[in-house]
Amino acid sequence: MAASTFCFALSPLSKIKCNVNIIYTLNKRTAFSGGLSKIKGVEKQVAALPERSSQGPRRPRREAGEPRTERMSVDQDWTAVYPTAKSFKQNAVPLPVRMGYPVKRGVPPEKKGNLELIKIPNFLHLTPVSIKKHCEALKPFCTEWPNALDSDAKCEEHFPIQVQSKDFVSAGPSLRNPKARIITLTVKLSSLNLDDHARKKMIKLSGERYNKESDTLTITTESCPLRQQNYDYALYLLTVLYHESWKMEEWEKEKTRADMEEYVWEDSPSQKNILETLLRMHAVEKCEEDGGVQKELLGRPEVEEYKDSVTKLKNEGENECNIQQYKDAVKKLLNI
Amino acid sequence: MAAPMWMSRSLRVLSKTIQDTSLKLCVQRRIYTCHGQPTLLRGCSSVHPVYLHTGTVSDSHFPSITVTDEPDTLFQKLTVLVKGHDRAVLDSYEFFATLAAKELGLTLAKVFEPRKKIERLTLLKSMHIFKKHRVQYEMRTHYRCIEIQRITGSTARVFLEYIQRNLPEGVAMEVTKTAIETVPEHIQNPMWNQQKLEEQDSQ
Repeated sequence: MAASTFCFALSPLSKIKCNVNIIYTLNKRTAFSGGLSKIKGVEKQVAALPERSSQGPRRPRREAGEPRTERMSVDQDWTAVYPTAKSFKQNAVPLPVRMGYPVKRGVPPEKKGNLELIKIPNFLHLTPVSIKKHCEALKPFCTEWPNALDSDAKCEEHFPIQVQSKDFVSAGPSLRNPKARIITLTVKLSSLNLDDHARKKMIKLSGERYNKESDTLTITTESCPLRQQNYDYALYLLTVLYHESWKMEEWEKEKTRADMEEYVWEDSPSQKNILETLLRMHAVEKCEEDGGVQKELLGRPEVEEYKDSVTKLKNEGENECNIQQYKDAVKKLLNI
Repeated sequence: MAAPMWMSRSLRVLSKTIQDTSLKLCVQRRIYTCHGQPTLLRGCSSVHPVYLHTGTVSDSHFPSITVTDEPDTLFQKLTVLVKGHDRAVLDSYEFFATLAAKELGLTLAKVFEPRKKIERLTLLKSMHIFKKHRVQYEMRTHYRCIEIQRITGSTARVFLEYIQRNLPEGVAMEVTKTAIETVPEHIQNPMWNQQKLEEQDSQ
C-alpha cells in the first residue's frame, strides 16, 4: 500500500537522497530499495518514515565504548567480573582466546563476535579463588565427622544398618525421577541379637535376599510412591522378620533331616555305623548296658576327631585338607 | 558475600532443582533475605559495588545459624556421577568439585572416569522411499565419578547443594548416598520375652 505510493513518488527519477536502511521489516521495501541503488549506481538516502518502524522513532546507533578489559589491572578481583554463571563476554574477558575452524591458511577466528565462545558453558565464575571464597562462606554450615569412626570396620560395628538411596538432577520436561524412591537396606545378621534357631529361620524366611558369603540381608523396597514410605516399609519388614524368626511354631518341631541347613553328626547314619564297628571290634556283649557303653565309646578322642572330620567334609565340601583329616581320623580309630 | 550470587542464580535456574534436600538449614534464609541488585552485577564502570563481592558484609545482616538437637545423619559413602556429552566440560567440573571437596575438608576416596557410552541409530535419509540410503547418528555420553567417604548429613547437604547449583548446562547428575544407622530399639530384643514377662507380672 504505502510501498506502492512510495514507488510512484520515486519513479520519475528524482534526485532525492535516500537512506537505504537494511533493517526495514517489510520485504517489498527492502527489494525496492536494493533495486533502486543498483539502477542508479549512486548512494541514495531515503528519509525514514517513523510510523513504519516497529521500534518507534529510531534511536541513533551508539558507538561501542572502550572495552572493560582496558581498565582491568593485573591484581583485580575476578569475582567482581564474573560472580555468577554468565555467557562469555568478549569485552570483559582479558584473554586473547581464539575458537572455531581456521580460515584457509589462517588461524581460528578471534573472540570479537565469536558465537562459538558464547555457545559453550564456561567456568569463568568458578576460578580457584572464587571456589575458596564460596567454601569459606559455606564452612559454618558443615559439621565434622566424629573422629572415633575412622575405619569402615568401626562404622560397621557401631552402625550395622546401611540404607542406600539415589538422587537425580537433570533438565527435562519433568524434574521427578521414578528411581529416586527406591531404598536398599543392608544389614549383617551377625550384628543382630539372634540365637541359632532364630538365625536359621531368618535365613529361610528371607530366601533370595540373604547372601551367604557376606552374611548380609538386603531388603529393596520400591512399592510405595515416596522415599520416606519406602524406608519405613523396609524397617517394618526387618522388624517383622526379626520377631517372627524368634517365634517357635508347633509345626517346627517336625523338622526332618532333609530340612536341616547343615550336617549334624548326632543321630546320623555315620554315628550308627561307627558304633557298630567299634562294638564289633571290642567284642562286647550287645545286650548289657548299651547306653553306658555307647557313651563311653563316643567319648573317646578318636571318635571326636572322626566326628569333626565327617562334619567338615559334609558342610564345607571336599578339600585336600578335609580328606587328609578324615584319613587320619579313620586310621586312628581302626588302629591301622 | 557469596550469598547474593546464589540468589540471582537461583532465580534464573528454573529447570534444575534438588530432589532430596528440604533446605531446613539457614542456607535458604540466607539466600532469600539478601536484597537483589542484579543490575549492578553487569559491571558499570562508575559504581563499584564493593560490598557485594569482596566479602566484607557484617554478619548482622544475616540470621544466625541454627543448631538443632536431632542427631545428624552419617553417610559412609557419597557417590556423585555426572553425565554429559562434552568431555571438556566434565573435566572442568571435576576440577571444581574436587577443589570444593578439599576446601570443605572431605575425604575423596576415588575420582575416576567410567567408560563412555555411544548410542547409535540408523534412519532413512529421505522422507519417502529410498530404502537403500540411510543416515547414522550417534549420541556420546561421557561419565565422571567422584566418591566421598565418611561425610555427615549437614556437610553432604551443603556440598551437594553447592555442586548442584553450579552444574553446567547439558550435564546431569546422579547421587548415591549410603547412610549408616544403629539397630533400632524394637529390633534389639525379641518381643516374645517381654510378652511373657508382662503376662507373669499381670498374674
